[in-house]
Amino acid sequence: MAAKSPQGPAVGYNTESTRTLLRVVILCFIAAAAISSRLFSVIRFESIIHEFDPWFNFRATKYLVANGFYKFWDWFDDRTWHPLGRVTGGTLYPGLMVTSGAIYHALRTLTVPVDIRNICVLLAPACSGLTAFATYLLTNEMTTSPSAGLLAAVFMGIAPGYISRSVAGSYDNEAIAIFLLVFTFYLWIKALKLGSMLWGALCALFYGYMVASWGGYAFITCLLPVHALVLICMGRYSTRLYVSYTTWYALGTLASMQIPFVGFLPIKTSEHMPALGIFGFIQLIGFIQYVRSAISGRQFQTFLVTILVATFGLGLLGLVALTSLGYIAPWSGRFYSLWDTGYAKIHIPIIASVSEHQPTAWPSFFFDLNFLIWLFPAGVYLCFQDLKDEHVFVVVYALFGSYFAGVMVRLMLTLTPVVCVAAAMAASQILDTYLSWKTPVPVEEGQEAPKKAKGGLRGSDKPTVGIYSNLTKVMVSGSMLVYLLMFVSHCTWVTSNAYSSPSVVLASRMPDGSQHIIDDYREAYQWLRQNTKEDAKIMSWWDYGYQIGGMADRPTLVDNNTWNNTHIATVGKAMSSREEVSYPIMRQHEVDYILVVFGGLLGYSGDDINKFLWMVRIAEGIWPEEVKERDFFTAQGEYRVDEGATETMKNSLMYKMSYYNYASLFPAGQAADRVRGVRIPDQGPVLNTIEEAFTSENWIIRIYKVKDLDNIGRDHANAAAFERGQKKKKPTKKRGARVLRVD
Amino acid sequence: MRFLSSLAPLLLLFSGSLAKKAPADNYEDFYRLSQRSTPLKLSDATYTSLTAAPRNHSVAVLLTALETRFGCQLCQEFQPEWDLLGRSWIRGDKTGESRLLFGTLDFADGRDVFISLGLQTAPVLLLFQPTVGPHAVGSPEPVRYDFTTGPPSAEQVHTWLSRQLPNRPHPPVKRPINWFRWASTITIILGVGTAAVSASSYVLPIIQNRNIWASISLISILLFTSGHMFNHIRKVPYIVGDGKGGVSYIAGGFQSQLGLETQIVAAIYGVLSFCAITLAVKVPRMADSKTQQVAVIIWSLTLFLVYSFLLSVFRVKNGGYPFSLPPFM
Repeated sequence: MAAKSPQGPAVGYNTESTRTLLRVVILCFIAAAAISSRLFSVIRFESIIHEFDPWFNFRATKYLVANGFYKFWDWFDDRTWHPLGRVTGGTLYPGLMVTSGAIYHALRTLTVPVDIRNICVLLAPACSGLTAFATYLLTNEMTTSPSAGLLAAVFMGIAPGYISRSVAGSYDNEAIAIFLLVFTFYLWIKALKLGSMLWGALCALFYGYMVASWGGYAFITCLLPVHALVLICMGRYSTRLYVSYTTWYALGTLASMQIPFVGFLPIKTSEHMPALGIFGFIQLIGFIQYVRSAISGRQFQTFLVTILVATFGLGLLGLVALTSLGYIAPWSGRFYSLWDTGYAKIHIPIIASVSEHQPTAWPSFFFDLNFLIWLFPAGVYLCFQDLKDEHVFVVVYALFGSYFAGVMVRLMLTLTPVVCVAAAMAASQILDTYLSWKTPVPVEEGQEAPKKAKGGLRGSDKPTVGIYSNLTKVMVSGSMLVYLLMFVSHCTWVTSNAYSSPSVVLASRMPDGSQHIIDDYREAYQWLRQNTKEDAKIMSWWDYGYQIGGMADRPTLVDNNTWNNTHIATVGKAMSSREEVSYPIMRQHEVDYILVVFGGLLGYSGDDINKFLWMVRIAEGIWPEEVKERDFFTAQGEYRVDEGATETMKNSLMYKMSYYNYASLFPAGQAADRVRGVRIPDQGPVLNTIEEAFTSENWIIRIYKVKDLDNIGRDHANAAAFERGQKKKKPTKKRGARVLRVD
Repeated sequence: MRFLSSLAPLLLLFSGSLAKKAPADNYEDFYRLSQRSTPLKLSDATYTSLTAAPRNHSVAVLLTALETRFGCQLCQEFQPEWDLLGRSWIRGDKTGESRLLFGTLDFADGRDVFISLGLQTAPVLLLFQPTVGPHAVGSPEPVRYDFTTGPPSAEQVHTWLSRQLPNRPHPPVKRPINWFRWASTITIILGVGTAAVSASSYVLPIIQNRNIWASISLISILLFTSGHMFNHIRKVPYIVGDGKGGVSYIAGGFQSQLGLETQIVAAIYGVLSFCAITLAVKVPRMADSKTQQVAVIIWSLTLFLVYSFLLSVFRVKNGGYPFSLPPFM
C-alpha cells in the first residue's frame, strides 16, 4: 500500500490533490478491511453479543434506550446482587452505552429502522475503522514519511492484538476506548507541538470521553505526566509544554469528575497523583522560568535549580506521608498488582482468578502482533534519531506499554497502538529507501561529509546516500512484501480461528467436516426464562451473572461486577460446603435455582469444577475456619474428582451438582470425565436439599431447584431417605441424626 | 538480654515445682515470668505444668527445632516473628487481661513432649484454650496452626490468635523501629546526592548520552515482549530435562515457557530488529556501492533466515499454525 505513494518525478496527474484523494481512498479501504475482518462471528454464527461483560453492557444499553438518560443515570438495579442490589448508574462507565444510545436515536431520527442489538454488535468494528484513522493521524505527527501513517493505519486495523477485543458482538468498553485512547494521544501530541490551548482543550474533551468509557483511562492519566516529566528532565521545558499540559490537566480533570463512578477520585487516589504532582511542579517551573528571564546571574540560577529539585523531593515525600497517614487512598488493588506482581495472588484472589489478569507468555505477543513485534524495537530506535518531543512520547509509551502488557494479558490492548506506530515508522523507512528508483551519484572519496551536531545516535551521523544497486532494492522490498503478506494472512487466520468465537455458542466439527453448533448456554437460559418465576433468584458462580441477567432476565446473587467480595465469598462457601451448611445460606438468600456449568461429558474445560479452587480460595479468605483449601487436596496434594477425591470434595455442593446422576449415562464402570480424563465412581452423589430441574443437551449447564422446607417438619436428609425407601435411621445411635438448622 | 535468657530456664525449673498449686496461681507465676522475658523458654516439665488440664488461661506454644543440625529452615525464619509477636502481645497487655501466655519449646529441651505428641515435623504451633473460667471451651485439646504456606509473619499469626480468642483484648503487633536502617538509608541518600553533585561533570555526559538511553530502552522492550515478566511472576524453571537425558529448550504448550526459551526468543527478536535497523538506517549511509550491496545481501538474508527460524519455533508452541518460510519449514 505504501508503494502506491508516488515517488517518481512530478507529472501532470501527480499533484497534491490527487495524492490527497488517493490517501482518502486508501484510508476508506483500510477502514473497510478493519471492519470486515471483524465480521467472522456474525457470518459464522449470527448477530449475537459475546462472552460475559458485553451482556451487561447490552442490558444497560437497553435500559438506557427504554428509560432515557436521567433514569439511566439514577438506575438502582435490584435484580443483581440479591438482596443487596447495585447502584448501577453510579458504578459503571457510561460512555459505551451512551454512544450506542446516541447512534440509535440519531438513526431513528433519520427514520432508519434499526435494532439496538445490531448497533451494539457492530459498534466495535465501526470504532476500529475510526481507530485506524486515529493511528494514521498519530503516526503522521511522528514522521515526515507519507507512507508511515497509512502503514500504521492498516497495521492497527488488522492487528490481532486489537481485534481480540473488538470483533463484532464484543460489546465491551474497550471497543470504543481504544479509539479514544489513540485519538487522545494524537490530540496531546498536536497540542504539545503547537503549544495550543485549543488542541489542549480538545485533548481534555476526548480524555473526558475516555474516562466515561473505560477504567483504563488511568493509563493516559499516568502516561502524559510521565511524558511531561521526562521532557522536563531532558531540559526541554517550554511554554508549549506548559500550555498544553495545564490545559489538558485542568479541563480533563474537571471533565473526568463529572462521571459519578470517578467523582473525587482524581484528587484522592494514588493513581491520579502523578498528574496532579506534575501539574504543581510545572507551575513552579513556569514561575522560575519567568523569574530567571528577569534576573540573570549564574549562582542565582543554580540556586533556583536546587530549589526546584528540593521541591520535587519534598512533594514526593509529602505524597508518601499523606498516603501512609490515610489522606490519599493508596493504589487500588488492580493497579497495585501491576507493580508488585505477587500482591494480588496473596491478597485479592478475586483479581488473580480472572484469566485475563494473568501474565503474558511470549507466544501471545507473537500471536497478537506477528512481525510487528520485531519491527517495534527498530521503530523505537528510529525515534531516538530525531528525538523530538513527540518521539520521546513514543519511547515512554513503548516502555510502559510493553511492561504492562507483559504483566497482564489484557493490557496487550494498550500496547498494540504504539507497536503499530513504531513498526510502521520502521517499515516505511525501509520501504521508502528501497522503493526509490533514483540511483545516487557515487560520492568521491575524500569529499568530507558535513558533520552532524553532537549527541546524535551512533551510525546516523553520516549523511544518507541512498541505495545503488537495483538488485538489492528488489531483494529487500521483495522480502518486505513477503512479510507484509504473511502478516495479513496471519491476522486473518488468527481472527478467524481464535477471536471470533462468541463463547456463548460453541462450534465443533463433525467427523465429515460439517459444523456442529453447541448451544447449551442459550438453551438453559431460555429454559430459565420460560419455566421460572419472574423473580426467581438464581445462584451461580459470578462468571455467569451477567449472562443470566441478560439472557434469562432473572435476578442473580453475584455477577461479573465483582464489587462485593464478601457476597462472592458467600456463594463460594455455599458451593464448597456440605449440603447441611449450604442449605441455610441459600434459604437466607432466597435462592430458588442453582446453575452450574459442567463440561465433563463434552470435554469443555472452562467449567465450574476447574474453577472450583478459586471459589474455595475466595471463601477461605472470609471464613478461614470453615472452608479450607487444603481439604480439597488429597494427602498427596492432588486435586482429584474420581474415586480418590477427598471427603470434603465429595460432599461439597459443587461436586454433587456436577456429577449428580452422571454415572447413569454410561454402562457400569465406564463413567468418565472427559475434561479431567478420569473414571468417575458408579455410585454417584446423593442430593437431599436440592433437586435436579434441568440439564442441557450436552450437560454443559445443569440447573437445580432448591427444595422448600418439608411439609411435615422432617429435615431434608430424612425426607429424601424416606422417598428413596430407605429405613429410618435409629435415633438411638451415638450421635443422633444431624439436625438441619433452619432459621 | 543474654543473661536473662540463660536465667529463664532456671527460674522456670523452680516454678515448675510450684505446678501443684491451684491453676490461678500457676498463671500468675508464669505471667510474672513472661513479664521478664517472653516467649517463655519451656522444658518438658514446665510445658506439662503450663498446659495441665484444669487451666483458666490460654497458652500458645511453639514447638520448634532451632539447632542447625536439624536444618529446619522454617523454624529459623519464623522464630524472630514469633518472639516479636510474644513480646508485643505481653507488652500491650499490661494487666494480663487476655490471659494468654507464649512459650517456645525447643526439641533439644523437650524431646519427651515431641515424642508424646507424636510430632514428626517442626515447627508446630499449638494453642491451648482455657478449660475453666469465663472463656472455657469444650475440648481440652489444643488447636493447631497450619504452616503450609511458608513462614507466616507475626501479623498473620496474630490474626489467627485473635480469631481463636474472641472477646479478649488483642494487643497489636508492634514492630520496633529499625533505627539502623533509617540512619543508613538517609546516609546513603545524602551520600549519593553529594556524589552526584560533585561528579556531575563526569556523570552528566553519560546520562545525557542518547546511545545509552536507546540501548536501555531497546533491551527493556525486548525483555518485556519476550515474556520476562511471566518468568518473574510464575517463577518458571530456567531449563528442564526432556526425560531422555537431554535438555529441552522449548516448553510445549502455548501458555508455558522456560527461562532459557525466553532468552532465545529475546535474542531472535534482537537480531531481527538489528537487521531492520541496519537496513533502514546504516546501509543507506554507506558511501561505497560494493560494500553496500554486500551488506544489504548479508543483512536481508539474515533477517529472512532468522524470521523463518522464529516461525518454526512458534510452530512448536502452537501446533496448528499454518505459516512458514523456507528453509525452516
